[in-house]
Amino acid sequence: MTTAPHPEGRTFLSPLTGLFAKVETSLWFPIGVVLALFVFFSFATDSFATLRNFSAVSGQAATLLIVCLGATFIVLMGSIDLSVGAIVLLVGAVSVSVLNALNIGWLMIPFAALVGAGLGLVNGLIYTRGKIPSFIVTLGTLSVFSGIALTLLDGRAIQFNAPGLENISIGQWIPRLPNIALWAILAWVVLVVIGSRTRFGRYMYLIGGGEQVARTAGVPVERYKLYAFALSGLLAGFGAILAVARLGAAGPSLGSDLLLNSLAAIVVGGTSLAGGVGGVHRTLIGVLIIAILDNGLNLMGVSQFLQMIIKGLVVIAAVLVSRKSGADQVIK
Amino acid sequence: MSSRSEWNSIPAQRPGDAAHTGGNLLEVRNLSKSYGPVQVISDVSFDVPRRSVVTLVGENGAGKSTIFNILSGLTAPDHGTLHLAGAPYSPPSHRAAVAQGITRVFQEQSLVQNVPVYENLLLGEEARFTRFGQWVDRDAMIRAAREIVSDAGLDVDVRRKTGDYDFSTRQSIEIARACLTPKLLRGVTEPLVLLDEPTSALDRRDEESFFSLVRKIRQYGSLLFVSHRLTEVLEISDVIYVLKDGEMVTRVTPQETDEHRLHGFMVGRERATDYYYENRQQTTLPVTPALRAEGLRVLADGPEISLEIRPGEILGIGGLLDSGKSRLGKAIAGVIRPLAGQVAIGNGPLRRPDIGRATREGLGYIPAERLAEGIIPSFPTAWNFSTGSGGDLFSNRFGIWHGRKERRAVRSHIDTLAIRSATPDLAMSRLSGGNQQKVVLARWLERKPDVLILDNPTRGVDAGAKQEIYRVLRDLTDQGVAIILITDELLELIGLSNRILILQHGGVVAEVPAPADAKPSEQTLVGLMLSDPGQAAPPAPPVAAPAPDAQTAAPETQLEAAE
Repeated sequence: MTTAPHPEGRTFLSPLTGLFAKVETSLWFPIGVVLALFVFFSFATDSFATLRNFSAVSGQAATLLIVCLGATFIVLMGSIDLSVGAIVLLVGAVSVSVLNALNIGWLMIPFAALVGAGLGLVNGLIYTRGKIPSFIVTLGTLSVFSGIALTLLDGRAIQFNAPGLENISIGQWIPRLPNIALWAILAWVVLVVIGSRTRFGRYMYLIGGGEQVARTAGVPVERYKLYAFALSGLLAGFGAILAVARLGAAGPSLGSDLLLNSLAAIVVGGTSLAGGVGGVHRTLIGVLIIAILDNGLNLMGVSQFLQMIIKGLVVIAAVLVSRKSGADQVIK
Repeated sequence: MSSRSEWNSIPAQRPGDAAHTGGNLLEVRNLSKSYGPVQVISDVSFDVPRRSVVTLVGENGAGKSTIFNILSGLTAPDHGTLHLAGAPYSPPSHRAAVAQGITRVFQEQSLVQNVPVYENLLLGEEARFTRFGQWVDRDAMIRAAREIVSDAGLDVDVRRKTGDYDFSTRQSIEIARACLTPKLLRGVTEPLVLLDEPTSALDRRDEESFFSLVRKIRQYGSLLFVSHRLTEVLEISDVIYVLKDGEMVTRVTPQETDEHRLHGFMVGRERATDYYYENRQQTTLPVTPALRAEGLRVLADGPEISLEIRPGEILGIGGLLDSGKSRLGKAIAGVIRPLAGQVAIGNGPLRRPDIGRATREGLGYIPAERLAEGIIPSFPTAWNFSTGSGGDLFSNRFGIWHGRKERRAVRSHIDTLAIRSATPDLAMSRLSGGNQQKVVLARWLERKPDVLILDNPTRGVDAGAKQEIYRVLRDLTDQGVAIILITDELLELIGLSNRILILQHGGVVAEVPAPADAKPSEQTLVGLMLSDPGQAAPPAPPVAAPAPDAQTAAPETQLEAAE
């Protein structure tokens, strides 16, 4: 072999053009849905296409996105994490209790993230050591974590007393963009890089695509499953402290809509529940679809009950359309 | 071969000759099919005479499976015509093909494991056994299933769960279903049975009943057969068609050809005289072992196995399907936990084997079930290639992935191993079996291993790629790599190994030396595989002393003297 066996015609622009070429064709459909929803709601209501509303939507969608990022890796490796909403609730409850007892200020953020990671690790340990399906494990811890949180909160919403902390969420270091949305975007960028450029990311795909193949090739599958659950917990904890800071309190309903919305966003984004297909980059689009749908329907004055129906149908339709046609596989 | 003459005598036993009882059951004319730009078969014509066994041979990717898919209604041809029993035939679905009397045994088993055998035998036929619409007449089903089983000469209780039977018996059940349901249930007088590599998973014990079933079907129907085993093809076929690169190369009869010439047609060249490169077999081996296993137990009530392998040696492991030889390979590699025992790699200490640590210490393992354990078909070649080295070669200590290094490495292996049509980004499912296996091989070559454990490395691999894999194995032993070769292919076992262990029920019953100038015969090995180790004085070649004749015993002493 001589110098360049496979000329690829690299120019200084190739990273950019490569980026566009790399956007999988299957991504265009969900992106189209986002645009269609955007156009539809812009015409249907006066208040949708306003900067003020976009600020509101980004604030609401941010927690969902942060929580979904970790959960996407779990789905990518063929498992499922039903407990993210419960982790958000528990971390929120612990956070307000700690904040009201000690004045640790900014340190609250890493503290909350670590508590979340610990809870995720609990999930992961039960899952890998006990060899119990992740669906069962996280269904159980969903109930356990929620129970502990509600005991801590005594069933009430508790406000926190830490002046200035709310700034990390509702402040605007970039005008019109609430900080919580900024955090979410940063987290997304970091996790997209982790997903595509690290060993952890590659192993998530391998475990999801063929766990037995990965194991047979010497991949430490159990360890990486543990990492994934810890990461999911960590991000849920991070999302929780931002949500608490944004709301100024932690109440029993914190995170209650995350269970359905996170799975909906991940699946609508195009990460397959079968594992090995998709990725965090897609989850951003899924979150946008869910968030715009929520917001737009609210603005149109559609009732909550009808909204539930519509959202459910959208999730099913999205998967139906993006499914590989003609793939004769067993669906469970 | 002793059974060869037996086969050739069959046409004489049949009532009337196929040639003058009504010509062809199936006529295929000018069949073409392409997937996108890839022409899979072009202008293929052949005939299946009534009451005959016709075989299609060819390397992987020659188009055999596509022809089967067209005949069984799974895909439609682009051009060409089919005639079944004189009438135009173009099945719109697999169901339609079955209704017209064409059944098929697929390469992968399609039996439902957790239902009784009779339900599998009559799968899709339940409507025949219902009364008042929905009520299933179980007794009638069991009666019909028993008839199929006894016709096929199988010793199977149809009420038992299918999964209770071993792989080989399940394969026999599947063959019996395809062969016998058309006539017994649907009243098809002239069935055509398509068999895709049916015997590759069969135990030697079940092979004989398969052959007698074939004889039985041929009294009224026809069989179209695909196989990689040329000896077997020559034994059972009336007519052989050779495919190469989607085109029909020639039509021959077993009487006018032999294995070498057949192979020559398939790959476009005569088989090299030294197919297994026996002259490159290492004769002097270093004393220090490359791998040592102590007291390994792989079956619950099995004995313990200890073995050693030296650098440059190929240790063959043979045995029937239930002998535990695959489990032994997995246990040594640490893919499964052995029930007891320890393994030392190189100068390392004896430890419970673990595949993660073993790969770091210089071991590689190639599993037999390529699609379930070897590769992820939907993933790119590069990803499948780098799977074994994610922890060190292709990522740094911060966990950053070396994407470019990965692509460079996989490209160089694609070149050196001649992995046809592969690119780093192409999904593995688009490669043929042989090329997929080369990627798995490359996965470990990249790590420059000291020990390689291969479980049926050439299963489902075409003859051309097979020989290339053998060459690579010899290259590796030249460099001092120790190889444990577990295989069902006797000729491969004999041809490649320096030394052969025969396993029965999870224990070693014999160790047979196999130096290049004194290879043991197939009969010797089969005898050892089937011998009864429980008997005090076995009538077959003595198990305790596996070298009964001076010819095989002598080279072993030479070998030891040489060290």
